[in-house]
Amino acid sequence: MDLIAGWFSHLNDTTGINFTVFYDAFDRARFLNGFLVTLELCGVTITGSVLMGILGAWGQGARSWLIRVLVQFYIQMFRNTPPLVQVYFFYFGLSALLPKVTDNLGMQHPLIGGFIWASISLICFAGAFNVEIFRSGIEAIPNSTREAAEALGYTRLQTYIHIVLPLALRICMPALTNNLVNLIKTTPLAYAIAVPELLYVSNQIWSDDENVPEMMLLLFIIYIGLVGILVFAMHRWERALRVPGLGR
Amino acid sequence: MKINQFAFGAIAAVAASTSVIATAKADAVQDIKTKGVLVVGVKADYPPFGSLSPSGENIGIEPDLARNLAMRLGVKIQFVPVVAANRMQFLEQGKIDVLIATMNDTPEREKIVDIVQPDYYASGYNVMLPKTIHITSWSQMQGVPMCAIQGAFYNKEVAEKYGAEPVAFTGVAEALTALRQGRCNAFVYDDTAIEGKLQNPTWADYDMPLPSQDPKPWGIAVKQGEPELADFVSKSIIDWDKTGYILSLETKYGIKHSSFAEQMHAKYK
Amino acid sequence: MSKPFAVLLPLPEILHHHSAPARFRLSLRHGAALLGLLLLVSVAANAADAPAQAGVFTVLARWTPLLLSGFALNILISVMSMSVGTILGAFLGLALISPNRVLSAPAWGVTQFFRNAPWLVLLFFMIFLLPYHMQIGPFTFTAPDWVKAVIGLALPVMANVAEIVRGGVQSIPNGQWEASESLGFTRRQQLWQIILPQALRRMIPPWMNLYAILTTSTTLASIVGVNDVVTLAAQVLSAEGSRPDLLAPIYGYVLVMFFIYIYPIAWATRRLETKYQVRN
Repeated sequence: MDLIAGWFSHLNDTTGINFTVFYDAFDRARFLNGFLVTLELCGVTITGSVLMGILGAWGQGARSWLIRVLVQFYIQMFRNTPPLVQVYFFYFGLSALLPKVTDNLGMQHPLIGGFIWASISLICFAGAFNVEIFRSGIEAIPNSTREAAEALGYTRLQTYIHIVLPLALRICMPALTNNLVNLIKTTPLAYAIAVPELLYVSNQIWSDDENVPEMMLLLFIIYIGLVGILVFAMHRWERALRVPGLGR
Repeated sequence: MKINQFAFGAIAAVAASTSVIATAKADAVQDIKTKGVLVVGVKADYPPFGSLSPSGENIGIEPDLARNLAMRLGVKIQFVPVVAANRMQFLEQGKIDVLIATMNDTPEREKIVDIVQPDYYASGYNVMLPKTIHITSWSQMQGVPMCAIQGAFYNKEVAEKYGAEPVAFTGVAEALTALRQGRCNAFVYDDTAIEGKLQNPTWADYDMPLPSQDPKPWGIAVKQGEPELADFVSKSIIDWDKTGYILSLETKYGIKHSSFAEQMHAKYK
Repeated sequence: MSKPFAVLLPLPEILHHHSAPARFRLSLRHGAALLGLLLLVSVAANAADAPAQAGVFTVLARWTPLLLSGFALNILISVMSMSVGTILGAFLGLALISPNRVLSAPAWGVTQFFRNAPWLVLLFFMIFLLPYHMQIGPFTFTAPDWVKAVIGLALPVMANVAEIVRGGVQSIPNGQWEASESLGFTRRQQLWQIILPQALRRMIPPWMNLYAILTTSTTLASIVGVNDVVTLAAQVLSAEGSRPDLLAPIYGYVLVMFFIYIYPIAWATRRLETKYQVRN
């Protein structure tokens, strides 16, 4: 570790290329914390949005007219409006309507913090796209398959869980991968509501140390790396799930 | 052939010499007097230093200083609103003659524009607190959640000294909204900007009880290569300090006398 | 009593027993529901107001011209970004499909980079590292923040357009290439006279979809200091004293503005998608 720190410190002295996160302990700690928060945010939102997609796709086929309308409303709201304004609406707007907690100084604080609101907002945003993706996967399943399940005595819910969903997942995997990549690229939005993720801490670091290009380079490398890992994992999963005769 | 070459050379020499004459620096002060108007860049969103009255007029401490400069030159005044991102560029491009826009005097900026000495004002950072919280010294700020602005140079110092990492937002508006919502108990920002905010009756239940920290001086700037104008501005600043004009402007716009202004007044009396 | 002449009815009619519930296509009903939600939130906020303060609707009406001017800037940024990005992306796309490795390999690298980089980081990159003004010969170009935002957003648009072009060209059946080659067309003639005219129609729905995404992404410019509708909304809130009851209505108002602009584009995209459906 000291070797790396020493080399980067030397790099700065000789060329002025300043990667403080490698040789300065304070900046390194900050940067790592930011990276962890980004990882947490990505993990929570990916899981949540896939669940949201599954729920929403089921809701689209519900018998109740009200549920179908609500699901459509949710999809169109979150697909056709900017995610940044959605985040602000949650963090500032909805937060003001919720009850407050009082601390020992007598000051009132909002109930829900920045990270949770960012997660909720991003889950709703990506979830809306996922519902459409799962729907297209579900539609690609032939009616005969569903009818066969019905003939075998599966209820609607059982058909959905055991037959439809597994097949739909395999069909819509490429589109789902695409959307999850977009989700990772959208997480820096949380910066706007002071969530201490990677972009936020990088901004603090480059304001203090005047090394914008170096921090930018690190950011690009890390995000492209994260995207690469996700795409690799999704491809491996796709291959593991492959059913002969389905799809290409 | 030779006559053509000679003629071409002669014409080129004449053209070069006339262009040299044309770009020779004329006296900037003389230019302004001939033009009859002094163009000054000021802030329009930073009360009480530079803002707009409801009728659209530039009001504040800095527009008043600018008007004083124009009066000394015997010309009219024209204001151009600037922000931090473009104020130096406007000066370089010649869009404005003088820049009075809450600009910190730093060595990096000295390289780009000519910052007139002496500095005319200074600001440090301070915290805006609700009146319900009774804090009398900076040591009590330990662990208090604070809102801040992204990229402010004092955020790191505040984090190191007072243990609480400031929650930083992209703009003042968002930070104030978060303060109002209770996401933090204090707002750390330039003391001069906080004074401006506190003058607004909507923030009547907030206060700035602690002394300012780490004052950094502000400078009036002119374009590089205009020594006469810089000299004139410098003499004007010294005169303002001597006569206590800046102190009187602070009173006029309802802010406490800053220690910097008082020091400068004592120095040049 | 069975239906007379039942055999003469079209087949699906006879077999019709139970189909999947009719899917709801979005209609004005949903836009009305959105407006309804906004009204509900505003009325709730209004009801909670102290009598001395201005009502929520008064405030919204007062600031509407300013907010609309900010929204116009968002639209301007999106149109300019899309234009620049499309032109650059068209060239990049042609390079992607080129059989010449010298062209296609770097094109692939550029496309992958800009498709996988977060848009906000690209914006920051442009804002900080592009000079405010540059001298080229006798001309001085000034680049205010919003122009830098246009360039910053045009880059991912370029990469996505390149992918759309590649996808469109690849969706044309191989038979077209083979037939034109056997008729003696050069590659350039194949591309410009046979393949691209067919591929163009298929590229339009994803291109329009990209525009919708781009328009929602113009709000990111507010984070880097451009005075767009989101920045103005924050300043309006601040000017009104950061009243908590105004927060949801004002941000809801901005959401409605974007919805009204983008939903027609999304609807038209869906229409075109079904119209130009790829039949293999």
